[in-house]
Amino acid sequence: MTMRRVAIVLLLLLFIVLLAAEHVAPYSYATQFRDAPNARPSRSFPLGTDALGRDRLSRLIYGGRGSMLLAPAAALLSVALALGISLLAGCLGRWWERGAMALADLSLSMPWLFALLAVRAMLPLNAPPVATMLVTFALLGLLGWAAPSRVMLAAVKRHLQSDFVLLARASGCRRGRLALVHLAPNLLPLALAQFLVATPIFLLAEATLGLLGLGVPEPLPSWGGLLQELENLPSITASPWILAPLLVLIVVVSLFHLLVSADPYSV
Amino acid sequence: MALASRAALLLTILIVGGLLAAALVRLAPGFGMDERLLDARLNSSSRKAIEQQLTEGSDIVTYYGRYLQRLWRGDLGNSISLGRPVRELLSERCGVSLRSGLAGMGLAWAAALLAVTMLELVPAKTCEALASLAAGGLLCVPTAVVALGCLYLGGTPSLAVAAILFSRIFRYVRNIVRTACQAPHVLAAHALGIRRFRLLTFHVMAPVLPEMLALAGVSVSMAVGALIPIEALCDSPGVGQLVWQAALARDLPLLVNVTLVVTGLTAAANLMTDTLRVTREACV
Repeated sequence: MTMRRVAIVLLLLLFIVLLAAEHVAPYSYATQFRDAPNARPSRSFPLGTDALGRDRLSRLIYGGRGSMLLAPAAALLSVALALGISLLAGCLGRWWERGAMALADLSLSMPWLFALLAVRAMLPLNAPPVATMLVTFALLGLLGWAAPSRVMLAAVKRHLQSDFVLLARASGCRRGRLALVHLAPNLLPLALAQFLVATPIFLLAEATLGLLGLGVPEPLPSWGGLLQELENLPSITASPWILAPLLVLIVVVSLFHLLVSADPYSV
Repeated sequence: MALASRAALLLTILIVGGLLAAALVRLAPGFGMDERLLDARLNSSSRKAIEQQLTEGSDIVTYYGRYLQRLWRGDLGNSISLGRPVRELLSERCGVSLRSGLAGMGLAWAAALLAVTMLELVPAKTCEALASLAAGGLLCVPTAVVALGCLYLGGTPSLAVAAILFSRIFRYVRNIVRTACQAPHVLAAHALGIRRFRLLTFHVMAPVLPEMLALAGVSVSMAVGALIPIEALCDSPGVGQLVWQAALARDLPLLVNVTLVVTGLTAAANLMTDTLRVTREACV
């Protein structure tokens, strides 16, 4: 329980820092210091500058804001989808349930990175960076519904056999009301656990896409995009501070994992 | 009967997947454009013929029908960026990915099972903590970074696949084995003085085999997903690298056809492990 509290406090602190990026970051993420490209860490640039002379710390903070706001948003989208689909499938009967599970099987059989790349390639080349970033995370959210939906459908089926649902049905409660008033509130703890599981997955997925050059486009920073510097081994040994985004990402994902492992509803 | 219904489900999944793939190609920006139309040497009737040829596929149902016909004949279309048939590209690269994927999966499973067995045979808190830390740490690192790490340390793509899968397989297997060890029949066998190794293999592993088979099915999907960043970053000429190149070049026909083929293979692997799991469950 203590570890859970520590994780919550640290994540909240991080969220506050990232939300106040304009006030916390020393410079804007796009500001270029052309006279100081690839600068070593100093008072002016605590994590040095990149090849274009942009302050790494500022880009780490602004990039974190994008990743840390949009990954939970994508997780929320996928959990909301999963909740809706499992409630519909559970309440509307056997055929709907079979259909939903077949759809979930399709989603789970399709390696998500393949599907994501295929859909991502549909975006026009001249799409603005912010739109591309939003679409990338929206796609992550849309493709990630299948795994939580299986867990939630199992919970819906379990609840449908419970006494309070039988009583509500006997009282003439309609399916819609049954789903929204009686079932949905009971699924919220499970939905929270699934949200906590999905968020680090999406953070890591964005990082992998970013490292492959298919994530958030320049000049917008993201933690995944900042990891692209790791593709150059000599630069890692010469300037190890470029590992900072990776370390921050590992810490954040670990904190989410701590939250998940301490959650009694995590599956 | 169960196998037939599962096979029918697999077929339905592939047909729906195919429809989605065809819809993606049809709706992609640039569909219906042909650079031959820019050729000033062509006269108006030739251009009209090309335009008519392009508009034939404008209706998505007709387009999908033709797509299925071609698929039935084994024609997966042509890659725009590489200018070669997708089937040819796949046959060239499948072997590399299959080798990396299977070797990586085998290594990951062997390492995970060995680690779990050792932890059960020689229970030591330090070893347990170290193993959990290693597996948990690997789970917090993006797949692409693990691939880069393997590359920098001189490892092969199969080692990278193994490193990525190990953390997931180890944690799951450790959990189910730990739970199975608390089962009454295991405690009774332990009380009767049965040796630890025999206890582990006959009384613990055998009952959890269905769950392990389910995990084996899932690990196929995980391995396939991990192959894209690994092959792209390790410069291994497999299907993953092909998909990455197709995504960068926005070669949608290549991308969706490869996705469909890979989905089919993954679904078939899952079907196989599911069938084995059901058979095993029936035996237990």
